[in-house]
Amino acid sequence: MAWFTSSSSKPENNTNSSFREDRSKCWEARDAYFTCLDAAEVVVAGTEGSKCAAARKVYEQNCAKSWIDYFNQRRVLAEKQKPLLAQAATQAAQARRP
Amino acid sequence: VFTPKAAALFVLAGSGLFFYFRWEKQRLQEQKQKEMESRSVGRAHVGGSFEMTTHDGKPFTDKDLLGKWSLIYFGFTNCPDICPEELDKMSAAVTELDKSFGPIVQPIFISVDPARDTLPQMARYVSDFHPRLIGLAGDYATTKATCKAYRVYFSTPPGTKPGDDYLVDHSIFFYFMDPDGNFVDAFGKSSTEVDVVERVKREIEEWKAGKGRLA
Repeated sequence: MAWFTSSSSKPENNTNSSFREDRSKCWEARDAYFTCLDAAEVVVAGTEGSKCAAARKVYEQNCAKSWIDYFNQRRVLAEKQKPLLAQAATQAAQARRP
Repeated sequence: VFTPKAAALFVLAGSGLFFYFRWEKQRLQEQKQKEMESRSVGRAHVGGSFEMTTHDGKPFTDKDLLGKWSLIYFGFTNCPDICPEELDKMSAAVTELDKSFGPIVQPIFISVDPARDTLPQMARYVSDFHPRLIGLAGDYATTKATCKAYRVYFSTPPGTKPGDDYLVDHSIFFYFMDPDGNFVDAFGKSSTEVDVVERVKREIEEWKAGKGRLA
């Protein structure tokens, strides 16, 4: 039972690949899905309706649910932080001007 | 008798003493400054005794930290991206340090997820990183005690089962310990590999200057 603890939390039951490979697969699937969402101008994953359905399926197949929730939440947070970061950058630039 | 010769001698002795004392005071001040900067002053009490098991199934306690510099990262194998990134950073730093000093820095990964991070799981996980990376795990009580000693926050509740799917919230630092097992510094997410290498190098060289050996 102990041997398959990693695969039980991920749909991918492949114990021949290393964890690093599994992670890469998930990240790539996530990046493909998020790129599609960016193109559709959707921030909150799951609200895009039927767009990006194929990318979403691959994403859900390759990543654990806890990871999916985490990445989706982080995407929303990153979007929220964008104006703040832009403001910080402008302030920094202004401060540097003599 | 107050002769010009006696007066000259007096002035000479006086000025000699004046300059000597000034030099001595300067020297003492520099020494104090050095002591302030040195290892024993102003360091947090992080660390302490712990007993865990390595990914190879061998016992490992705080005593096993002695005689080597250590970089200790707390995380869990089901971590989405932060733990692998930090461990990659740590592994790269150790590889770089190996080039300068040989294998005197010991990278360690301690699990904060006792339910899922079994020894085989840990063994498989650490094989992705530096060849000398040691994975340590223990039961819930041990994990909690070790985290407390290192002031690491972690959110795993006691009742989790191996098949559960959850993420563990935990503080993201790796701790740099000296060959006496004492805490030196902590590196966060914003530290780069270069920062780590430089800090460790500086500490090792200071140690060598004081003790005449690398660890």
